[in-house]
Amino acid sequence: MSLFHDLFYGFGIAVQPWNLLACFLGVFIGTLVGVLPGIGPVGAMSLLLPITFGISPVTGIIMLAGIYYGSMYGGSTTSILVNIPGEAASVVTCLDGHQMALKGRAGPALGIAAFGSFIAGTLGLIGLMFLANILARVAVIFGPAEYFALMCLGLSLVTYLTQGSVLKGLSMAGLGLFLSLIGQDVITGKARFAFGLMGLVDGVGLVPLVMGLFGISEVLLNLEQLYEKREVMKTRLRELFPNKEDWKRSAMPIGRGTLIGFFLGILPGGGAVISSFVSYATEKKVSKHPDEFGRGAIEGVAGPESANNAASSSGFIPLFSLGIPANVIMALLLGALMIHGLRPGPLLITENPEVFWGTVASMYMGNVMLLILNLPLIGLWVQILKVPYRILFPLILLFCFIGAYSISANVFDLYVMLVFGILGYTLRKFSYEPAPLVLAFILGPMLEQNLRQALILSEGSMAVFLTKPLAAAPLLVSLVLLLSTILPSLRKKRQKVITE
Amino acid sequence: MKRRVNIGALSWIVLGALICFLARRIRLGTFGEPGPGFIAFGAGLFLSGVGIIMLLTTAFSAADTEERAPWGRLFPAGSRVRLVYTIALLFVYTIFLDRIGYVVGTFFLMWGLFLNWERPRWVASMLASLVTVGVTYIVFEVWLHCQFPRGILPL
Repeated sequence: MSLFHDLFYGFGIAVQPWNLLACFLGVFIGTLVGVLPGIGPVGAMSLLLPITFGISPVTGIIMLAGIYYGSMYGGSTTSILVNIPGEAASVVTCLDGHQMALKGRAGPALGIAAFGSFIAGTLGLIGLMFLANILARVAVIFGPAEYFALMCLGLSLVTYLTQGSVLKGLSMAGLGLFLSLIGQDVITGKARFAFGLMGLVDGVGLVPLVMGLFGISEVLLNLEQLYEKREVMKTRLRELFPNKEDWKRSAMPIGRGTLIGFFLGILPGGGAVISSFVSYATEKKVSKHPDEFGRGAIEGVAGPESANNAASSSGFIPLFSLGIPANVIMALLLGALMIHGLRPGPLLITENPEVFWGTVASMYMGNVMLLILNLPLIGLWVQILKVPYRILFPLILLFCFIGAYSISANVFDLYVMLVFGILGYTLRKFSYEPAPLVLAFILGPMLEQNLRQALILSEGSMAVFLTKPLAAAPLLVSLVLLLSTILPSLRKKRQKVITE
Repeated sequence: MKRRVNIGALSWIVLGALICFLARRIRLGTFGEPGPGFIAFGAGLFLSGVGIIMLLTTAFSAADTEERAPWGRLFPAGSRVRLVYTIALLFVYTIFLDRIGYVVGTFFLMWGLFLNWERPRWVASMLASLVTVGVTYIVFEVWLHCQFPRGILPL
């Protein structure tokens, strides 16, 4: 009964005019960035992060969360109609979604993507409500050693599951950890690694760093295809609803996709991208007609699109209950919560119930808004898709500049953003993923604080990490993952899994 | 690929060593009382360690696991000029933003960015940049109270 009471309390907060507007703006912007190739949810969230400073934490988080799950919906539109994924989690939708469009079935592909996303997103939310609450109650017993171990596991999993070389992922995580240590030491108050620059005394800003690595570098990468024209498939509203046969073929993939997405979304390093790929591989494996995959099988759209939306809901579980982000987007939300003076962790749900329940309730409403935005308004998104990139990229760059500058009205932040933009561009050219860097950057201060506290409490004994089972287990898993990157046979196995 | 991985690995080793050196200067502390440089020293060791493993795995691997991408394909010649031009514009804008202000600086930045190199339309790109500056000024400065630098104009 208490759960429903809490949910009603959440709806009471979510329906307040400002929160409702924030939810709508969030899902609208999310759909927009999902539709537009060249700016993803991370870039959009970091762009809007400074705007949330002036509003209440719950309103800000509702808007930022809306951008995330909204982009999951919008990403499928470009994948199906243009064969260009609007964001990474929709890459796999291109395979069958665009083939369906080429066969004149763009409508049912868009329709099943939207309905599947809605069903999975809603079911994921129910799971989020139950599991976050339970996990938060368990997590109260966690001490600094357990938190340190869990953060290590999160970082190891993110780098392990990153595409390409694990060693490159690890080096990015190491760099992110170092960057997070720049600025004042939380315990002694001493400035570290500032190199005499006043702008670095407070540390490297999260927003300029993320905007540089994701926003600026993405634009620089896309400059290579500046004058390429996009062929957008035509579709009509009445064709958007899948027929009986489509529903019959999609029902099980939606169910499986929801389950896969939900559980992979909770795991650190999991999230929408991996779950969509796993769902596609599963559907292909269990299908009676695997040869149809890649040629326009509706299961190849229904499964992954459901999986990425379920993952976007369940990704909130470790964030709200443990204060540990499962992926880079959650890391950004964690940063937003902290900027607003909230302390994500097991006590967040009890100490700030309005944030947790308000966000959860708004996500139910956001899912309904997205269904309306993505079906009747498909024509609008198609029109936006026709805007040439040479017009879009200056606007994206300008918004990055405005976002980075407006945090503290300091030009130094713009230099930081530009430096990380160029660094991100160069690193991505050499197949270095920026996600482990950002996650390590955000987890860094917490990781440092917990490690130092654990060591002080244990009077310098490292045994504290081995004698506590909840600390030893995650550290053991992390160690196995790291060692597996060195052993050639295990490395090949991992590569095979990632490639598949 | 081998040559590139080696350079990358060496860079990580050097960077890691540099971080360790800097961390030592700000006090490492002890295990019982870790100092401000404690974790940074660990991060430096970790980076150097990863670099060494990178170096060793490349040295002992029988064949290249990654296909070698030529420099020209990584940084296509066609987009290089545009890339340098865009980055230069962004740096110039950042350098002069405080002095000339948001309105004037952004107008020139957007004009430069909107310019279509294939079919230059000076007036159209000028108008587009004017509209962009106007709209963003109203939204961010007037409505959202972002404090843009005024520079040479009273705006």
